[in-house]
Amino acid sequence: MNFKYDKLSSMLRSSLLAGACMLAASLPVAAVGALAVAAPAPAAAQAAAPAVPAAPAAAATATGDGGAAAPGAAAPGAEPPGDFKTLDQEVQSMKKDVIELNKDLFVLQEELLFPANTQVAVYVSMDVGAFFALDSVTIKIDNKEVKNYLYTAREAEALLKGGVQELYLGNLKVGKHELVAFFNGKGPVERDYKRGATITFDKGVGAKYLELKITDRVAKHQPEFKIKDWD
Amino acid sequence: MSKRLCLSGFVWIASLAWASSPAASLVGKPAPDFVLKSLDGSNLRLSEFRGQVVLVNFWARWEGESRAEMPVLDHINTTYNRAGLVVLGVSVDEDERRARDFAAGMKLGYPLLLDTTPQIGRDYSIEKMPMTILIDRSGVVRFLSVGFKPGDERTYLDRIREYLRE
Repeated sequence: MNFKYDKLSSMLRSSLLAGACMLAASLPVAAVGALAVAAPAPAAAQAAAPAVPAAPAAAATATGDGGAAAPGAAAPGAEPPGDFKTLDQEVQSMKKDVIELNKDLFVLQEELLFPANTQVAVYVSMDVGAFFALDSVTIKIDNKEVKNYLYTAREAEALLKGGVQELYLGNLKVGKHELVAFFNGKGPVERDYKRGATITFDKGVGAKYLELKITDRVAKHQPEFKIKDWD
Repeated sequence: MSKRLCLSGFVWIASLAWASSPAASLVGKPAPDFVLKSLDGSNLRLSEFRGQVVLVNFWARWEGESRAEMPVLDHINTTYNRAGLVVLGVSVDEDERRARDFAAGMKLGYPLLLDTTPQIGRDYSIEKMPMTILIDRSGVVRFLSVGFKPGDERTYLDRIREYLRE
């Protein structure tokens, strides 16, 4: 999924870059160098700082020439400061557009690959976690393994701090299905711990969301594993 | 003269063949992410080392060149770990127990990860072992080497120093 997303995004970025080049071609020649320096890549996160500080003396002599300087020449001082601001603003707005388009592409991709009528999403959350150190989760839907995820220390800590992970996103037909989840980790006495939880659910027309919840049952000094249907 | 021509032709064809191999096509591209269990039981994800220079060595216990290379990499790890280099060894042995026994015997100072599925081999187009790749701080594969012979570590060191300076 991520590979397709990257492909679409890179195509979009390429087309935006081509557009930026065409826009630059219509500008005075002296401004092209500034644009090239100020906007190295549309998807770049770096700020498009003004290219080169204008030298006042050089600006005074070149202002009236209307962009007669050679392309890429070191004559940034020939450009009045106002034009730099405009270019910078244009680049900034282009960056915002790219981010918006990226977001829209992602949403569109999700809708195309996982339409609501077949979409099923499984999330993982942990509450407290004093009695269980999560190592991996395996989920099977209708007896077929669909996901096996290993958790690094950082990821487990993120869950402990309240993060919710989208473990699996897939497609299912309408009807009854069974999900079985296996949780592997270290138990209360640092021993290997493996537990399962299962749920039978009805997949309707809309998207189905299931949450695998790992909580501490303090009274029994044991972790508890539940699957919640967000119906 | 003809011998020289033949030799240079052979070298040229060999370099072309390497350059067009699937593994070589990884250079310049983001390293495919993976998460594997290490010998000490922890799970390590490649992308979590973003910001550091990473040397990933794919090895197999039956490969003599792997066995020769690993102590060299251990020395490199000891020298450059504090400068921001991470060395990871990935075993592609399907027999996990034997790989563990072998790795435990090597007594290396860097994490050894066990991959018993063919997925990483496919992602990295591993055709021959050992294979060593260098990943820069941005997660891009910058250097790839297949096989190992004494003296190769100089190339590794030059590259490592270059990427650490970036």
